[in-house]
Amino acid sequence: MRGAELVHLLKLEAALDLRQRAAWGGMVLYVASAIYTCHLAVQEGASGSAWSALFWIILLFAAFNALARSFQREDGGRQLYLHTLAHPRSVVLARTAYNAVTMLVLSLLSLLFYTVFLGDEPLRAGDPLQFTVAVALGGIGFASVLTLISAIAARAGSGIGLMAILGFPIVLPMLLAVMQASRLALSGALWGETAPYFLGILLIDVVALSLAWLLFPYLWRD
Amino acid sequence: MKHWWWKFLAVALVLSASIAALRTPLAPAVVYVDAGEVSAGAAALRVVGYGTRFTESPVQAYLENGGQFVQAMRIEVADDRHLTAHFEVPAGLREDLCDLIVSAPGQGDMRLFDAFFYRSKGAGAATGTVKAPQRTQREGFVFPNRNLLYESIRNLNFHVPMWFTMMLLQTIALVFSIRVLSGGDPLHDRGALAAVQVSLLFAFLGLITGSVWARATWGGWWTGDTKLNGAAVTILIYLAYLVLRGSATDPAKRARLAAIYNIFAYVLMLLFIMALPRMTASLHPGSGGNPAFSQYDLDASLRPVFYAAVLGWMGIGTWLLHLQYRLARLEIAKNHA
Amino acid sequence: MAAVAAAPLACAAQGEPDWLVDTLYGGGKINTVLAVVALILTGIAWWLTRLDRRISRMEKQQRTP
Repeated sequence: MRGAELVHLLKLEAALDLRQRAAWGGMVLYVASAIYTCHLAVQEGASGSAWSALFWIILLFAAFNALARSFQREDGGRQLYLHTLAHPRSVVLARTAYNAVTMLVLSLLSLLFYTVFLGDEPLRAGDPLQFTVAVALGGIGFASVLTLISAIAARAGSGIGLMAILGFPIVLPMLLAVMQASRLALSGALWGETAPYFLGILLIDVVALSLAWLLFPYLWRD
Repeated sequence: MKHWWWKFLAVALVLSASIAALRTPLAPAVVYVDAGEVSAGAAALRVVGYGTRFTESPVQAYLENGGQFVQAMRIEVADDRHLTAHFEVPAGLREDLCDLIVSAPGQGDMRLFDAFFYRSKGAGAATGTVKAPQRTQREGFVFPNRNLLYESIRNLNFHVPMWFTMMLLQTIALVFSIRVLSGGDPLHDRGALAAVQVSLLFAFLGLITGSVWARATWGGWWTGDTKLNGAAVTILIYLAYLVLRGSATDPAKRARLAAIYNIFAYVLMLLFIMALPRMTASLHPGSGGNPAFSQYDLDASLRPVFYAAVLGWMGIGTWLLHLQYRLARLEIAKNHA
Repeated sequence: MAAVAAAPLACAAQGEPDWLVDTLYGGGKINTVLAVVALILTGIAWWLTRLDRRISRMEKQQRTP
């Protein structure tokens, strides 16, 4: 029963997103503009750790942008309808899963744009696969942590500003871990060195998801 | 006064721990020697100690290099903290660096690690060395005297309890938040707020005192250390909690949203504080490459004072929370009357 | 401890490490401990003052409804 509910909810998310294609375009455009601005600002090409740091800052803000929408695009009427249809736990699981996929696509796309405009030398000098894994895990991590935060901020009635304030300190440790892993990846470290960071991020994802699963019904009560 | 017994105990613990923390002398130790390197032949080394009492009892000095000990020919004691040791340094000792040991009965073996370079390295000295000297015992209740820290090790009993108190108060806030979600009593919500506020007080105290101590020890007011990042994240989380409370207007909704955020943030913060520091190197004792404080003689002398200080300050923090909580309860009662 | 604090002034040995004679970290960095204790007591005193004022305000409101 729950599984079928999840699948339906996921399909609903996808349908909603497809209908609001402009929003997707907005996200991609935001990332592209940020990257292009960096390209103009950094004329000579950035060194390894600066390259990685800049990328993560862009991705962080893109994530806030993308995930803020996830609970704000519905009005009260549609939320009430959803409330009567589905169990809140399924809603939060489905939404987190969908956000994770969205962030995965967005992060990899951003990486692609980034290498086009700011060069891929640091990537080629290091281990590109590890870096890509770091980017993917980081994107999914943002989604799993920020989905509940976005719900809280939406309920409080404020916009992306409040979500950024609430979300930033919680996301910061994970960001530090993933930035350290990226730096190691760019300096050509072995999987053994970066693996603890990846496992740490996965642990945070699991814990955040469990907490969201536990707490979301209280949020949904309105 | 309500609940006077644990408040009295808290004050007693803090007072006695603080007095012990400030009055206990540091262990005598060698802190400085005036030569940077030494080669085979005669050497006169001027040695400076801290907390030492060279004039009190016969003092001996040794060089240790690769397991071989060279005893000083002659010691001239200038005063309690200065002496000159004359050595006849043999050729052929094995290592590049020598330790200097000054030992006196009642003061123990005071070793200055890697005191200077040794320029006449070889395969082991054939003559001129003695076998390991008999160890002398250090007497008295003293605090460890560590390089870089010296007297500031006493801060252990003031700076660290701030963080323990903060964590206790945040845990109390968590309990209040859980009760908000499972109940709905506005008192629990105000209790959570009070606990967060007092925990932020201790967090800021811990941060500022840590900064002062860091400046004296590591040279800067802030470093990229993991524990400092954890402290910054914690403070940001609870400041964000206050911002969240400020944005929600309806009291019931505000209570629920704040409680949800508190629980979510607390668990993730706990995870961060416990898990990540173990993975990375750090300047703080107890993480990464540094030996934990338990290796730092946190046994006979530091431990009881430290534990008393932590318990006492946690009590003081709880007292502050108790006052704030009672005030909130009065305010709620007044609003309903 | 007083003897230890006085000692840096008594010796003028050449090549003495800075921290022994430096004023800010003199006395073996005991001043950092004093600074820490002073900061903590000041912070707590400030908090207690704030609390006391709020209680006084409430008491005054109760007396003049």
